[in-house]
Amino acid sequence: MVSRTARTVTAVSATVILSLLATACGSDEPPAQSDPDGPVSLTFVAYGGAGQQAMIDKWQTPYTAAHPNVTFVNTSPPDVAQVKAQVESGQVEWDVVATSPAAAAQNCGTLFEPLDFPGLDTKELVEQAVGKCYIANFINATPFAYRTDAFPDPSKAPRTIADFFDVARFPGQRGILTNLQNGILEYPLLADGVAPDKLYPLDMDRALKKLDSIRKVTTFAPNVGALQQAVGAKQVDLFLAPDSRLVPLMDSGTDVTVVWDVTVTSINAFAVPKGSRNVKAATSFVASVVSPEATAGIAEALGVAPVNLGAKPNLSANAKKVEVYGPVNTGKTVLQDVDWYATNFNEATTKVTNWLAG
Amino acid sequence: MARAPKRWRTPSPHWLFLVPALALLTAILLVPLVNSVYRSVGRSDFTLEHYATLFTDGVTLKVLLRTATTAAMVTLIAFLLGYPYAYVMTRVGPRLRGILLVIVLIPFWTSVMARNFAWIVILQRNGPVHSFLKLFGLDVVLYGSVAGVTVAMSQVLLPFMVLPLFSALSGIDRRLLLAARGLGSHPLKAFWKVYWPLSRGGVVAGLILVFTLSLGFYVTPALLGTPKESLVAQLLGQRTTQLLDFAGAGALGFLVLVITLVLVAWANRFGGTISAIGVVAASRTKDRT
Repeated sequence: MVSRTARTVTAVSATVILSLLATACGSDEPPAQSDPDGPVSLTFVAYGGAGQQAMIDKWQTPYTAAHPNVTFVNTSPPDVAQVKAQVESGQVEWDVVATSPAAAAQNCGTLFEPLDFPGLDTKELVEQAVGKCYIANFINATPFAYRTDAFPDPSKAPRTIADFFDVARFPGQRGILTNLQNGILEYPLLADGVAPDKLYPLDMDRALKKLDSIRKVTTFAPNVGALQQAVGAKQVDLFLAPDSRLVPLMDSGTDVTVVWDVTVTSINAFAVPKGSRNVKAATSFVASVVSPEATAGIAEALGVAPVNLGAKPNLSANAKKVEVYGPVNTGKTVLQDVDWYATNFNEATTKVTNWLAG
Repeated sequence: MARAPKRWRTPSPHWLFLVPALALLTAILLVPLVNSVYRSVGRSDFTLEHYATLFTDGVTLKVLLRTATTAAMVTLIAFLLGYPYAYVMTRVGPRLRGILLVIVLIPFWTSVMARNFAWIVILQRNGPVHSFLKLFGLDVVLYGSVAGVTVAMSQVLLPFMVLPLFSALSGIDRRLLLAARGLGSHPLKAFWKVYWPLSRGGVVAGLILVFTLSLGFYVTPALLGTPKESLVAQLLGQRTTQLLDFAGAGALGFLVLVITLVLVAWANRFGGTISAIGVVAASRTKDRT
């Protein structure tokens, strides 16, 4: 005889399993859109840490002040794989996702909503700032820089990007990010003599061949945190590190010299996952971050470059040293080509990974 | 108290106690696993192309081999450190045994991140290990290398070797060794012929635990290793999060799972039983009663 308790346990377990399965399967119906004028809670996903806190302070708080019906739920990290899992299961929880514009363009219409910004003034925005499925939020420059104490004599210090690849004349450990957004493919080509305006389409094989020449003396960092740590702990002497990480490094006492020869910059963007219930409110919010005030605010907070050329950020002394659109940059600037990356992202990622692992 | 035993004596469906655990495992393990395997064979359009790619892309096999070698090294180091340690634990008084147990369990109680960052500080350029090696003219930086990952993983996984070994070793009747000596055996021979075979269940349990856990390690290789020498978990992460290649990642994950299961099955036949941990634990409980 089965006791009543046992039967209850079975029933409860069965219910749990069934409901979990039901959740996992989802449905194919298009999501009901929220009323953009009613109370809206936007789930906002960025990379966490100081960066996301700055986004809360500079973008979300002012937006909620102007639109009291819109509040934010913050989470991280913004994996596109998560977006894909949410979209495929029909349970889209995220509304605004920080992403590379290439990922948004590559998955435009499948994982991300096409966005429409009627009345948005794009005159002052940098090129490629608005795409079919994304809008830029800030620009990261990843300049070539070195630890000043590694080359104390300015006359014997590196001056060009070619010097980064010249191990004989400039010995020392190199630090490179493996992210495609930080110029791992552009800098070898620039050092190899490719003109900045002739970079795209990238000759990946040539870039990797050039990277071969410094492979032995290079620390490949899988994320910016690891590279920042390596610079701060004097593990690397010459490095390609983003502006937003150079500022805290200098703030905490690491003396860094930026080599303004040619600098690769890349757009960071927001996208809205396909099937979000709050597309309208999300679109309206992300359009608000390209205003001169909003872009200046994030530049001041993080040391990144504004996507709005009308922005007048009031930068700290250290942030001015990495200001890629400021007077300090005496060299050239290359903005990564979103379309090329959108088309070639998988091939480039695979090639770089295989080169690294090989 | 009087009612409880009576209730249990009715033909009670003990298996019902498994239901909550099975429900949980079904929901969080079985369903995603089946889903992932289903995806890896192209869902309803059956294909093995994702599996074929693993063997032909020139990278996966290399990384798998590197992972297996690393896991084997970690297992070997953990065994070489763990066996004598567990042996000593069976030979000392209760207080010292407690202290030894705490020492080996400290990694369990420390946050994964704290532990790995501590290893970064220890292994990095001009850190203690590098400075020490330089004294002998060895300019070797372990941070950012598979060697560094191996060292750190050995420490992290040591409890998984020591605990089953200690269980097994403390269950061995030492009078058997006395008997062997009494019959004229050399101590080493007595160890090899009597003690070692009796400890083999614990050894196999420890080896399997450490090896299989090593195969799937992610955080330590990601933080202490390098993309230049990535291990299979890093490859899996990259296929999922960057390439969004869920099918390819599923195929790779399933391949690793199959390799693990084959190894476990093989080790089972070779060295007794994987349930050595459970058996030994049961025998310990029996000892105490």
